[in-house]
Amino acid sequence: MLYALLIYEDESVYPADRSGPVVDAIRARHMAFIQELGPRRLGGNGLKGTATATSVRTDKGAVSIHDGPFAETKEQLGGFYLIDVPDLDAALALARRVPLAKDGTIEVRPVIAPPPAA
Amino acid sequence: MTNTALDRAVRAAGARVAAALAARYRDLDLAEDGFAEACARAAEVWPRDGTPDDPTAWLYRTADRAVLDALRRRRTRTRLIPEPPPPEPTVEDLMADDNALIPDERLRLIFVCCHPAVAPDARAALTLRLVCGLSTLEIARAFLVSEPTLAQRLTRAKRKIAEAGVPFEIPGPDDWPARLDAVLTTLEIAYAKAHEDAAGTGRHAGYAAEMLELTRVLAELLPQEPEALALAAIVRYAEARRPARLDQDGLMVSLSDQDPARWHRPLIEAAHAYLRQVAMLDGSGRRCWQAALHGTWCARRSLDEPAPWSRVLALYDDALLTLGEDPVLRLNRAVALAEVDGPQAALDQILRLDADRFDGFGPYHAVLADLLRRTGRIDQARAAYTRVLALGPAPAERRWLERRLAALGNGAILSR
Repeated sequence: MLYALLIYEDESVYPADRSGPVVDAIRARHMAFIQELGPRRLGGNGLKGTATATSVRTDKGAVSIHDGPFAETKEQLGGFYLIDVPDLDAALALARRVPLAKDGTIEVRPVIAPPPAA
Repeated sequence: MTNTALDRAVRAAGARVAAALAARYRDLDLAEDGFAEACARAAEVWPRDGTPDDPTAWLYRTADRAVLDALRRRRTRTRLIPEPPPPEPTVEDLMADDNALIPDERLRLIFVCCHPAVAPDARAALTLRLVCGLSTLEIARAFLVSEPTLAQRLTRAKRKIAEAGVPFEIPGPDDWPARLDAVLTTLEIAYAKAHEDAAGTGRHAGYAAEMLELTRVLAELLPQEPEALALAAIVRYAEARRPARLDQDGLMVSLSDQDPARWHRPLIEAAHAYLRQVAMLDGSGRRCWQAALHGTWCARRSLDEPAPWSRVLALYDDALLTLGEDPVLRLNRAVALAEVDGPQAALDQILRLDADRFDGFGPYHAVLADLLRRTGRIDQARAAYTRVLALGPAPAERRWLERRLAALGNGAILSR
């Protein structure tokens, strides 16, 4: 089954320019985690901070563009993994191990499976 | 007209059959529908043709066929590539002893129902529905919600299990302690609902019977788990005391005032047996300790025997050491201390606790009120009783508290 692991952290633990020892350390841990995932990982990326986000909003047919993320929250979406594992428990076991700088939440969401090949 | 042979078969083995189907097909709805259809078929056929020699096997076979039919119809509707049908149960499977055939399917089902991915307010309900076979109506009544509300809760939970891919597996060793604790907590919550009805008459009495059965099953399937055995003991001790919980006016009777002669002895003996197993396993978890506490009270044979307060106090001291510092434990320990060293000693202890933490906690004010009363601080006692009542206690407790408050006012001497 396909799952998305959505990584939510308080991004203020990372410096705005995303450089320096904290970022290097977390990047190294993610690289190691990717190794560990092996073929179970189908994709995933880190995202630049919410300060770089722009939101396109459609409301009652009108489209508007805003500076900033979808919502201002205490923890922000900072990256994701796309994995293929047998069941939810397997996904949860991996979610537990997703590297975080400090505290955070990994949301585990099943991905709608693509239709079978014709 | 009821079909008693069918009722007996369903009571005895319905949950096992449903669990086996759920595990086989990984689909709770299909399993439930298939089982329901088998029961409907049985209700027609058994009175006409006679009860089969092995009713459980008959129900299982019939339900299995119903599920396969439903799967075929579903595949036709959605036009997916047909999968090979699941294996037919062999004659050997069906002839085998019921317990051997599907022992751990039920355990797997319990773990599924109590999975952390299932909404907490649905776990107990789902367990009662799928593992105990209670109807949606019975469960809704027990939980004091409307039937549609409960039905929706169950539907959502089953959908979550299917969509999110919750596996029908017993958790592995890494997850085991947390997952087992979730199961035991769910059962505790479910039992607490049954226990709230202190009179235990009518529908709730039956529901408590399901909890006795479920804890028995869990203890049987997990004989090396002290917490599971302890829960089986706790539920039996509590049920044993049910006849003595209320007096003839419907007022709550405290443990030390309950007449042991009204307790259900056989249940206590059964509980003691579980407690002995816990002791042999050196169980030291929270429930193990609770079971020991219950066991101490239930060892009392009559009101003539002094209440075992010293032993209870020792158990609380033990708990605080083993389980760690806990304000609620401290509070309950103070109650025991009052009996052993007098109310002033206990009051001194209570006043050392952080009152702000306990402000919304009824039992704190109730204990405080009682100690204030017994040490002659009547006005403060009155204030404390008023506070508990303001926090909205359950009816039986409310009446007890109101009586105590009234007795303060008119200067009546209470028995103790």
